[in-house]
Order: sequence, then C-alpha cells, then structure tokens
Amino acid sequence: MTKRPCRLLLLLITSYLCVAQVASDMIPADVKRVGSRLACLCGACKNSVGDCPMIGCHYSAPARERIGQMLKEGTSDDAIVNIFVKEQGLKALVVPPAEGFNLLAWWMPVATVLLGLMAIYMWISRMRKPVADAPAIDPAVLEKYRDSIDQDLAKLE
Amino acid sequence: MENLGALSLILAFCFSIYAIFGSVVGKWKQRPFLVKSAERAVLAQWALQTFASGLLVYALMTCDFRLSYVASHVNTAMPTLYKFTAWWGGQEGSLLLWSWILACYSALVVWQNRKKFRDMMPWVTATLMLTQAFFLLLITYPLSPFEVLAVGKEIRAVPDGNGLNPLLQYWSMAIHPPTLYLGYVGFIVPFAFAMGSLITKQPGDAWIHTTRRWTLVTWLFQSMGILLGAGWAYAVLGWGGYWGWDPVENASLLPWITATAFLHSVMMQEKKGMMKVWNMVLVSATFFLCIFGTFLTRSGVVSSVHAFAQSPIGPYFATFLSIHIAATTWLILDRLGYLKSEAHLESVLSRESSFLFNNLILLASCFSILWGTMFPVISEAVTGEKISVDAPFFNRVNIPIGLFLLLLTGVGPLIAWRRSSFESLKKAFLWPTVGGIVLTGVLFGLGIRHLYALMSFALCAFVLITVAMEFVKGARAIATKTGQHLLRAMVELTHRNTRRYGGYIVHVAIVMMFIGFTGAAFNKERTIEVGMGDKFSIGRYELKVASIEQGENSNYSWGHAVVEVYQGGKRIDTLTPEQRLYSAGQGQQSSVVDIRRRLHEDLYLNFAGMQDGKAIIQAYVFPLVGWIWLGFAALIFGTLVCLVPSKVRYEFAKTKVMGVASGVATPKAVTGD
Repeated sequence: MTKRPCRLLLLLITSYLCVAQVASDMIPADVKRVGSRLACLCGACKNSVGDCPMIGCHYSAPARERIGQMLKEGTSDDAIVNIFVKEQGLKALVVPPAEGFNLLAWWMPVATVLLGLMAIYMWISRMRKPVADAPAIDPAVLEKYRDSIDQDLAKLE
Repeated sequence: MENLGALSLILAFCFSIYAIFGSVVGKWKQRPFLVKSAERAVLAQWALQTFASGLLVYALMTCDFRLSYVASHVNTAMPTLYKFTAWWGGQEGSLLLWSWILACYSALVVWQNRKKFRDMMPWVTATLMLTQAFFLLLITYPLSPFEVLAVGKEIRAVPDGNGLNPLLQYWSMAIHPPTLYLGYVGFIVPFAFAMGSLITKQPGDAWIHTTRRWTLVTWLFQSMGILLGAGWAYAVLGWGGYWGWDPVENASLLPWITATAFLHSVMMQEKKGMMKVWNMVLVSATFFLCIFGTFLTRSGVVSSVHAFAQSPIGPYFATFLSIHIAATTWLILDRLGYLKSEAHLESVLSRESSFLFNNLILLASCFSILWGTMFPVISEAVTGEKISVDAPFFNRVNIPIGLFLLLLTGVGPLIAWRRSSFESLKKAFLWPTVGGIVLTGVLFGLGIRHLYALMSFALCAFVLITVAMEFVKGARAIATKTGQHLLRAMVELTHRNTRRYGGYIVHVAIVMMFIGFTGAAFNKERTIEVGMGDKFSIGRYELKVASIEQGENSNYSWGHAVVEVYQGGKRIDTLTPEQRLYSAGQGQQSSVVDIRRRLHEDLYLNFAGMQDGKAIIQAYVFPLVGWIWLGFAALIFGTLVCLVPSKVRYEFAKTKVMGVASGVATPKAVTGD
C-alpha cells in the first residue's frame, strides 16, 4: 500500500501532462475547418488534425494551437496549409494533392471500375454469341414441357 | 523446457518438409505408402506444434521469465486470462498461433478426406504443408518464441516482466486475434483444394463442393474477427472510432472482400458451370491477400498503431508470395482448357449479370483499399516523398462504392436466373423503390440534408423490402398449402433452402451495419473541462460530474469520474468512465470509457484526466451505432443458417452450351446435405 500515493500522484501528473498541451476544451470551428485538411502525423491514428480525438496527441494538439494563432493573425486557410506542407512535406496533407504522380491515387480506383466494366462487356459479348445458333423448337413440344413445369411448380407449392 | 519447445518446432518443420516430398513423390511415382506416410507426417507435425504451444502457454501462465517472450509480454500482476492471451500478444507467439491453427486445419483436412479425393489429396497436402513449412521456418529461425534471456553463458530470469499492452487487456481483444487467424488461415484450405484440382485436371467442381463449408466457416470467422476488432476499437481507444482505415485493419478487410466475391460467384459455377477461371483467381487472390495481410502487419512496411514491432521477416514473406503468385498464375494459364464455361449467358438482365457487377464492385473496393494502403509506399518509391492517405481518402472513394454494393444487395435477389423481362423487373422493383423514395421524403421532411445519409437510408429500405418480399412470397405459398402460420411457414421456407434464405439474413445483417455506419454522419462530440457539480450538455443529454473516485489493485491504479446523466431534467443514468495507470512496463495509461448503449444512439464518455481540479470529459453521441453490433449478431445467425443442411435439395441441370434450357428445378427430398 505504500506505493499507492505515488501511483495516484503519477496518474494525476500523467493526466495533467496529457491535457496541458490542449489550448482549450473545445476545438473552434475555424480551427477544425483548417485542421480537417491536414493529416495527424502522430503515427497512432489516421485522422486529420481537425478531428484527432486524442486529448494529449503530441502532433494534433500543438498543431491546432498554431492554426488558431495563425487564424487570429489573419492568415488565410490556404496559407496555413501551405506553411504546414512547407515544413512537413506533402505528407502533411490529409489526402494526396490532385497533381502529378499523386493523381494516380485518385484515378486508379476509377480506372479499375472502368476496366472492370469493359471486361464485363467483353465477357458478356463473348458469352452470348452462340444463342443465335439455337435450333428452333416445335411449339407443341414446348407446350408439353410448359405443362410439365406448371405441374411440378404446383407440387412444389 | 525451452529446448523441448524449440526441438518440437524443428521436428514439426522437418515433418512438414517430409509431407511435401512424400505427397508429391508418392503421387508421381504411384507409391501409396509414401502418400499415406506424408499424411501421417501432417498429423505428427500437428502433435508437435500442439506440444510446443502447450509449453509456451505453460511458461506464460507460470511467468517463466527466463524466456524472452514471456518477460516481454507478461507480468506477475496480470489476470490469468491475459497471461493466456499473451500467447498472441507478441510477434513470435502470434506466429506460433498462426502456425498451430494451420496445423489443426491441415490435420482435420487429412483426416476428413482419408478415403476421399485420393487423386487430389496428395497435392492438397503438399500445398498446405508448403505454407506450414514457411511459417515453421519463421518460428524456428528468425522469430523463435523459445528464445531465452542469456547473459554470457548463463540463462537469467528477470524479476518481473513488462506485461501485456494495457490496450490489449480487454475481453474482445482476448478473442479477436484467434478469431481473425481462424479466418486468415482457413482460406488456405479452399486454395489448396483449388490447386489440387488444377494440378490433377479435375473435370468437375469437386473442389468447390468440398470446400463450400470451409469457405463459409472461414468467412464467418474472418467477419467475426473484423467486427470484434471494431468493437474493441470502439470501446477501448477512447474516441468511439470503430474503423479508422489503418493499414492493419485494411489488411484484414481485403481477403474478406475477395472471399465475399468468391462466395457469390461460386454459385455461378455450381448452377451454370460458368466463371471457373474467375473463381480460381478469386480463391487464389484471397489466399495471397491473407499472406499479404500477415506480411503487412509484421514487416513494418507501413506504419500502423496495430502492427507488431519491426522484424526481419519482410523478405521471407516477399519471396514466399512472389513464388506462390508466379506458380499459381502459370498453373491457371496452363489449365485454361480445363476451365472452360459449360454454359452461355442468355440475357444481360439475369442473376448471372448481377453477380458479375457484384464481383466488379467488390473487387473495385478491394483494389481501392489496397491502393490507398500501399500508396504512401509507392509514392515514396517513385517520387521520393511519402504521401499521407488517411481516412478522408478512403471514405471519399469507398462510400460511393459501398452504396452501389448496397443497391446490388437489393437488386440481385429480384432478378431471375437465366433471364428476366422488363415487365417482371418493373413489378418486382415497384414496392422496394416506392419504400426507398417514401423514406427519403420523410427523412428530408424531418430536416436531414446529408446526401450520402439519405441515399444510404433509402437503399437500406429498398434492400429490406426486397428481402421481406422474398420471405413473404415463399412463406405465403407454404402457408396456403399447409395451413401453417406465416411465421412458421417462414421457418419452413428457410429450412427448405437454408443457403438461399440464410444468405438473405446475411444481407439484412449488412443493411443493419449500413444503418449503423450512416449514423456516423450525425455524430456529436464535445471535449470539456468541468468542475465538480457543474453541468454541461450534449445532444439531448445534460451531464453533471458528481465526483472523482480513485483506487488501485495489483495491476493498475485507477481514477474514475462519476457522471450523472439527465434528460428533460430527470436523472436517467450514471456513467463512470475510468482512467488507469498500469504498474508494469513504463506505467502505461489506458482509458476505460463508459457507454450508455441504446438502439437509437450511444452516449459515450471518456474521462481524459484532471486539470486545475476540473475533470476533462470527452462526450460523444453516436446515433445508430448499436445497429452495427446488432448486424454482427444477425450476420453470425445468417451464416449459421447457411451451414444447416437444407431439408429439400434442389438440383439444377446446367444450361447446355447451345443456350437451350434443358432442365428445370427438380426437388429431391434428402436427409442431409
């Protein structure tokens, strides 16, 4: 039991350290707006700075504080995002920018669907060809089978 | 003890190598005794791995800190359950579990088929044992769970271990990894039968009939593993996220998607003898994605909070995968002549076509997730700069795909096999469409403007109505004939064709999950610093932090906030979110949230700590999230129904090549499946 006060103290200190980095208890809407364009690079989540929910996140919490400060100074959203990109590189963005090689990130899924549709079209065209060669069936024979089908279905129900 | 464990694994490796050569040489040289001895080697390596696993579990339970693995993942204060679950808490132990599950599956396959498929079985055994040998190689050489802590020539024990990561000390995390592994590993069995069928140029679909249940059971385990993981993340991580598009989460979803595509397209092969090549590709892709997922989790190629520590096994996996993919591709291409379709598509408006679109959309979703997961690595390799591909990317790409898939879930059952007329489709789609439109109108009238949410709810209504119509139509026919109550008739209907109606129940489960996912569009959150006795509100709730209580046990010290929940001025509940500080390791912290679960919404509280005598509370309202877990239960139930043998088995004669229907459904009363 001698360890108890120590542990409780440690718990409170750790909790304090976690929250000490938070500028405010609520994320202002404008900070959230800009933060939603920037990736949280803490390595523990795949969220944006705007919606990273970890109270003591070592990346998002100070980043939000900086964004808030820059917004107060009148810096535009784009300029703030550019500052982060300049410092961290393109990985600071929450989604790949739609330019250069990164366009592939966006277009490949679409290209896959289009290729798939093309493959289905080709497959259907190939698989439907022989139907035209189907021999004609005598209507009387067909009628006989229809009766049989009806009887079987009636039994089923 | 450690020597016995390590020796067992080395012997198991030798037996698996013998099983490969015994099977192949025995079959090639027509020596049945060699084939038989190879099958016994499979059983022997299972016994040896069971022994080794038992030894590791014993070491964990008795805190034998001479073993490096035990010292890293267990401490004396941990509850017994978590000492046991530490078996899969680290890289080496979890690889042993992986390997042991494969050994169990292999032994079961060999025993079940000891008198069946004698032509194909040697190749099935060889395929299974090739994978087995690979995993045994990993745990005998680079990542042995029986490595001892040595100082000089002396084996030393540490006084206490590091303990298991606190986040893993949670009930669903105790069963999530083994369930997921049962899924991952199980997909090897259909793959092995597919390879056996290809190698021996089997004329029929024997491998599909044999592995149908394997695939379904494995798919169920994989689904359970994924959803248990989601449940764990929701309840433990402290922000209510059940899915974060993390690379490791994605790795578990990829084989599940291809397996789902396979479960649908395999019906085309069974009923019409079509898509044989495609089914081979799907079953192989599922296997490769399972191995790829294991590689992704353990190699450190992508950064993930869920991944095991970086290890040197990446090149082993890359080599194994490359050889397997090359060999399988060659085999499929070489056997194309044996995989020709036995029937032709009679109409674009047919169930066959809807399966094609279903497969396309599933595969597109699989590819987009794989692409997004690997894009940071690809971009770094090509441009030299790492790009972040986070949740917003995956959501933007996958939400439209998911909605289209939901639409197909409803459309598929309404289209007949072979051909449908526009008239019949118009009739079939009328009420589901009206239902979807009416619901959209009502929700719009109630003020909902979120486009995807409106679309999702409308499609959910559409699918539910189509499934309900299918049940009611069939049950009415039975009720009219037998005079049974409609509900009893529905049970009878399901029993007559468990696979079809069980499948519909799974579709309903998916709809329930979509309802839950859609609720996320209306989440509310509030992070607030609040003094004792002060109130704050979120959604329709008013919350008051009444007190902070503290305590400790041998494993951790804790502090929890007692939060009173009010609605309309009336106290309706008390929640006690907790924060823990574990004694082992470096004093790791963990949150234990408290959730007021209701079907329409969850009130979710996280106690994040204290500042200046005030409590930091993260409060969330998650509408409809409970439907995800309800859907989970329905998915298990539906899949189990699919596994029950049908009372009546319908045999469909396959359509002849000329495109002329040659048969109709002929019911045969049978006692088993």
